[in-house]
Amino acid sequence: MPNIKLQSSDGETFEVDVEIAKCSVTIKTMLEDLGMDDEEEEVVPLPNVNSAILRKVIHWATYHKDDPPPPEDDENKEKRTDDISSWDADFLKVDQGTLFELILAANYLDIKGLLDVTCKTVANMIKGKAPEEIRKTFNIKNDFTASEEEQVRKENEWCEEK
Amino acid sequence: MSSISAQGVVERASAELSKRINGLGLRGSKHHHAATSAKTSVMERVTNVFCGGGGSNAAAATAATLGAPEKPSRLLPQKPGMQKPGSAPSSIAPSYRKQRQLPIYLSWDELMIDEKFLTMFFYYFSPCERCVLARVCIRWRDVLYKSPRFWSGLVPVLQCREMRGCHTTERTRLYSSVLRRGFHSLRLVSASDEDAIDLVNTFPLAAKHVHSLSLRCSSITDRGLETLLDHLQALYELELAGCNEITEAGLWACLSPRIVSLTLTDCINVADEAVGAVAQLLPALYEFSLQAYHVTDAALGYFSPKQSHTLNVLRLHSCWEITNHGVVNIVHSLPNLTVLSLSGCSKITDDGVELIAENLQKLRSLDLSWCPRITDAALEYIACDLNQLEELVLDRCVHITDIGIGYISTMLSLQSLYLRWCSQIRDFGLQHLCGMRNLQILSLAGCPLLTSSGLSSLIQLRHMRELELTNCPGASRELFDYLREHLPRCLVIE
Repeated sequence: MPNIKLQSSDGETFEVDVEIAKCSVTIKTMLEDLGMDDEEEEVVPLPNVNSAILRKVIHWATYHKDDPPPPEDDENKEKRTDDISSWDADFLKVDQGTLFELILAANYLDIKGLLDVTCKTVANMIKGKAPEEIRKTFNIKNDFTASEEEQVRKENEWCEEK
Repeated sequence: MSSISAQGVVERASAELSKRINGLGLRGSKHHHAATSAKTSVMERVTNVFCGGGGSNAAAATAATLGAPEKPSRLLPQKPGMQKPGSAPSSIAPSYRKQRQLPIYLSWDELMIDEKFLTMFFYYFSPCERCVLARVCIRWRDVLYKSPRFWSGLVPVLQCREMRGCHTTERTRLYSSVLRRGFHSLRLVSASDEDAIDLVNTFPLAAKHVHSLSLRCSSITDRGLETLLDHLQALYELELAGCNEITEAGLWACLSPRIVSLTLTDCINVADEAVGAVAQLLPALYEFSLQAYHVTDAALGYFSPKQSHTLNVLRLHSCWEITNHGVVNIVHSLPNLTVLSLSGCSKITDDGVELIAENLQKLRSLDLSWCPRITDAALEYIACDLNQLEELVLDRCVHITDIGIGYISTMLSLQSLYLRWCSQIRDFGLQHLCGMRNLQILSLAGCPLLTSSGLSSLIQLRHMRELELTNCPGASRELFDYLREHLPRCLVIE
């Protein structure tokens, strides 16, 4: 199996099996655009991913390399969040900062499976929390005026299941 | 054999609506498809038709919002402001830019306002949970409000008592948020006549957009109801629950032939005359749910020949006066029922069930819960004749034994079986159930005689999606672990 080199933002180089690296649609696109025919050693720079996160991402991708392609989602359906595998759950036992960085990396590198499982984990973190707690967790500014906030409260508290 | 299907009803409703909206006299042609699923609500079906491209302008508008295609991909920058110099594409190699555009790296703050990410993220939440998310910030609210898909399954509720204290502009804003989220249903709680009139005055667009109305615990009188229903020209689903001022004369005065789904629950004045009004005035009725202690057998003979074709779903909950004579009237006047509930109609006996089994062969769902006179004999009739039955509810039928379960276990089409608090069922009955390979939902909640080892045999039911074992003394911690291990796709409810 041919390998390629991925370079993190802080300059560390990781040698990875091409097939594993290609679970990232972004890397796959880069390689295709480069043309992989020439024998020369390619180094793919990833200036937005630091070595700690890149190491985690490669770890995840290596474990999941033989996973079947994820089923096409039913776009309109609520997705479950209680079906995280125990390996993934252990893998994601990290501090909140790392978890958020993994989401950013998965989003940028376009790794569907990793984005899915990290989003599930974050969704579980904020389920049942009040809007203010969610803002705090995600560092989001409350940009409603007082009256808008009261309005949006009513609009949404006054909703019931059919 | 031709049953008027859900599709047919939906098309009628849709045609009726376009007629009202556009002033066109076109009527949908009659179709005779097989009913797809007896459990989908009328509302959903009608919505589906609309989304699939109905005839009316309103429908087309809805379809446009609901069926809007996704933005091509995140390969395209969504906001010019997010394209930072020095971000990935430009820094790798100049040749990349010529070929395909690579994704732009988003920082956390950018991700939290990125519409594509948020839309994907919000799918990890239930509609109820999304109500909280909409309150986080303006961006989140706007992304959520944009897609009616995020709000399906919910109904906006107007707490009329609290609304009276609000300024008119606040109420207007509330109504516009209802429309923004693509709701077509509305629930009014504690509504008086004044509230109804106020709604008519401050929510003119309700005339077009409210398809489903529910009034709960309301002191609204006949006058208020008439004003409201006159206004709501697109309404085809109506629920009145706990409206004790509404009289039977009021129903005679205001029920419109557009209505295809009607629910009357816990309204003290509702009795036989009300059923008479429903039978006379609602020729297109598809679904009728009634909970009224004073309705008698005679009322069930009122249904018109038209309704015998259209009415597919009949639920009579706790209609205590109904006897087997009432069942005779049902099977004669409504031979095409696909869903029948007699839950809590406690005078029904095995003879009544025999009539049902012999005459209502299109039934897909039958609910006989809280009919304590039913015995194993009734289950033999059901198993022999109701070949299309998919759902059977026998909660609190305390005379049922393993013998009756043996009859049921021969029913190949059955997918959902509810046996809550059927206190005589033993492990031997479970052995029968284990042969039902198509069973997907089973409840044995509160069955006291089942043992751990008996319950463990349920792992043979490989297609199970849901298994309820609440209040089963035989269901130990070890048993739950064992079941979960062997039925990984099944939701086991403790």
